[in-house]
Amino acid sequence: MRTRSHSKSPLSWSLFTLLSVILSALVQLSSAGKSASSTGDSVLVILEPAKKAEYSIFLDGLEKKGYTITFRAPKEEHPLLIEDGLPNFSHVILLASDTKSFAKDIGPQSLVQLLSLGTNLVLTLGLKQNLLTSLAPEFSLLLPPPATPLVSFFPERSDSPNVIPIDVSSQFIPNDTFSVLSSQVTGKVWFSGTPFALNPNPLLFPILHAPAESFAADTSDASGLVSDALADASEKGGEGLWAGSSLSVVAGFQTLIGGGTGHGPDAGSGEDKQTRAVWVGGSSLFSDEFAKKQVVEKIIQERGMKVVENPSGNKQAALEIAGWAFQERGVLRIDEVTHHKVNQTGPVEMYTTNDEIVYTTRISSFNPSTKKWERYSGLKDLQLEFTMLDPHVRTALLPVSGKPGTYSTTFRAPDRHGVFKFVISYQRKGFTHLHHTLSVAVVPPRHDGYPRFLSAAWPYYAGAISTSVGFLLFCAIYVAGEAKEEKKNKKE
Amino acid sequence: MKAAFLLFLATAAHAAKLSADSVKYSIISAKGEPSTKSFVPTEKPSSEVVTLSGDQTLKLSLQVVDQATGKGVQPEQAFLRFYDEQSGEEGIQPIRVTSSGKAKFDLSMAKPPASLPPTSTAPLKVTLLLGSSSHSPQKLELFNLHVPASHPAPVHPDEVKFHLLPELAHTFRPDPKLPPRAISALFTGIILVVPWSILLGLWLSVSPQVPRLFSPNILPFTASLGAFEFLLYRYWVDLKLGDVLTYGAFLGVVTVFTGRHALASIADRRLGSQK
Repeated sequence: MRTRSHSKSPLSWSLFTLLSVILSALVQLSSAGKSASSTGDSVLVILEPAKKAEYSIFLDGLEKKGYTITFRAPKEEHPLLIEDGLPNFSHVILLASDTKSFAKDIGPQSLVQLLSLGTNLVLTLGLKQNLLTSLAPEFSLLLPPPATPLVSFFPERSDSPNVIPIDVSSQFIPNDTFSVLSSQVTGKVWFSGTPFALNPNPLLFPILHAPAESFAADTSDASGLVSDALADASEKGGEGLWAGSSLSVVAGFQTLIGGGTGHGPDAGSGEDKQTRAVWVGGSSLFSDEFAKKQVVEKIIQERGMKVVENPSGNKQAALEIAGWAFQERGVLRIDEVTHHKVNQTGPVEMYTTNDEIVYTTRISSFNPSTKKWERYSGLKDLQLEFTMLDPHVRTALLPVSGKPGTYSTTFRAPDRHGVFKFVISYQRKGFTHLHHTLSVAVVPPRHDGYPRFLSAAWPYYAGAISTSVGFLLFCAIYVAGEAKEEKKNKKE
Repeated sequence: MKAAFLLFLATAAHAAKLSADSVKYSIISAKGEPSTKSFVPTEKPSSEVVTLSGDQTLKLSLQVVDQATGKGVQPEQAFLRFYDEQSGEEGIQPIRVTSSGKAKFDLSMAKPPASLPPTSTAPLKVTLLLGSSSHSPQKLELFNLHVPASHPAPVHPDEVKFHLLPELAHTFRPDPKLPPRAISALFTGIILVVPWSILLGLWLSVSPQVPRLFSPNILPFTASLGAFEFLLYRYWVDLKLGDVLTYGAFLGVVTVFTGRHALASIADRRLGSQK
């Protein structure tokens, strides 16, 4: 692990920043970083130096994935989070959850600014009030009162009721939400800390629910006082009681697009500035203690009970939670969008109403193991909208078999003319949001674009042609004929 | 904290299980006799079904006891968990337990508690959770509760955009209808036959002579008029206006000269015949 040296003189400091800016620009120019993240390698860990050793398994795991870790004590002044309007790190982990006061530049505003500048955050909450407990409501988290940890007496175990094994496999994950904790997380995950309820906010989604039997309470009092306090809390109504599996202990937040990309006509894919923040109820989830702690389970067999000790899933879960936050997985982008008329190739400037339009897009996903963008055909619910003010057509974009990463659909342009937009707006919890709009004009048929020789118009055609032929005959007879009558009249 | 932990360790060694004794429930409606039923809940899914209508009240009473000694216990955690297995909605209601372990809970559907989750037609699974630092925890399945459906849980207005949206199809105007071809053909026939038969009939009575139709003075003029008609036909079929104007300009110049020549020759002839 490397700690960035702090230069003393202002001149050398500015030279150093200049160099680092050039270096980081060069790094960004080269196609792939050396870490498993799609957005950058540098990680700042805000942690008391004395506690570094408590998180060595997690931090070593990050370094093995290719991240460059820089440490900073909560009250240390350097390295700054944001310098000259640019973030210094691609990712920030705040493990100092129990610290009361932080250095000047670590504040709620600067953390939010970091997100809008493209830095991913892992934030751990403590039981005491600090800047994170005041920032959490801004992310639609509802925290219980201070000093009320998550408590569960289930299952029966020899540990304190504040240290809770959470079953990952029984977690309910909707079909269209990215499962941050993969099937590689085996065993239960130890958790100790504060739970939070989630206000309805589609950008926020639970990664790890609290067990159904758990609740948030201060259990240091006598049992009668505790149960009365809980009953009182629930009678207050609303947010009085924090209990049950609707609570979360880890939640992910995917920001909307920053920096103005993705909107307006013909905007690009706009995934560049989307950042992620993960809220974790207790930093101990990442700790060596919980990574090594065995989970004692009683398995009821035919011949009585059997006690089994399994390793906990914390090590893998910690890396996967951080990996999601650092945009390793669930990262998508739109590479290409094309459209043309059926049975034609090449783009057209405008479509005529009722044209059959073929719309094709190519989507890639970042693969953290190869560290490359790979074509991705796994989206089952991608939709295309053809909108003018309102969507006129919304249709499924289905993967094209045989062409990895390609999604295509064919639809008939509405019989209304105007400037339409092809819109892909794919927002799913845990995935990068995909936005793409492309304007195209739909015009009525040209004067010669209508169908010809309609049977209903046969009398008109016949009349016109007959008149023309009549005119021609009349002219021929008039010019080439003999005027007998006239002669007679003249003679008379 | 540490002391409590040690205490817990000490008790955990011979921790007796918590249990619920004399579990009774009664359903009270505005009119009619209250019906009371007592049952023994277990850890296995319960077959008890309780149906509550909008004006009824469910009264539940039980005693939390130590399973070994049968004495009443006041645990830290005595929760009723209402869980809708279909929607995943969950509500937790702590119940007050006296120091002798006796507990009562009233669920009035006229004024449902905030902890009751939004319900649909599916039953709520009601579970009693008993947890204490001095005893082994116990989870007892009480009954399946049918209550009137409530309003669905409020969702964020943008939430729908984060799921598959319903497909939309544009409603096209119906294709224009054409009359039957036979009628079109009939009227075409009428239009072709009637005027021409009148014209030809009248012409027959006049019987015009065209002795000079192929005379070199006249033919170019009639031919250029014919070319104009053909150009207009081509315009109708596939030419663009620009092409038509260009060809028409050339043809117009030619027609002016052929026309002058043709008229001059007629004039010559007429003047010649008068002489």
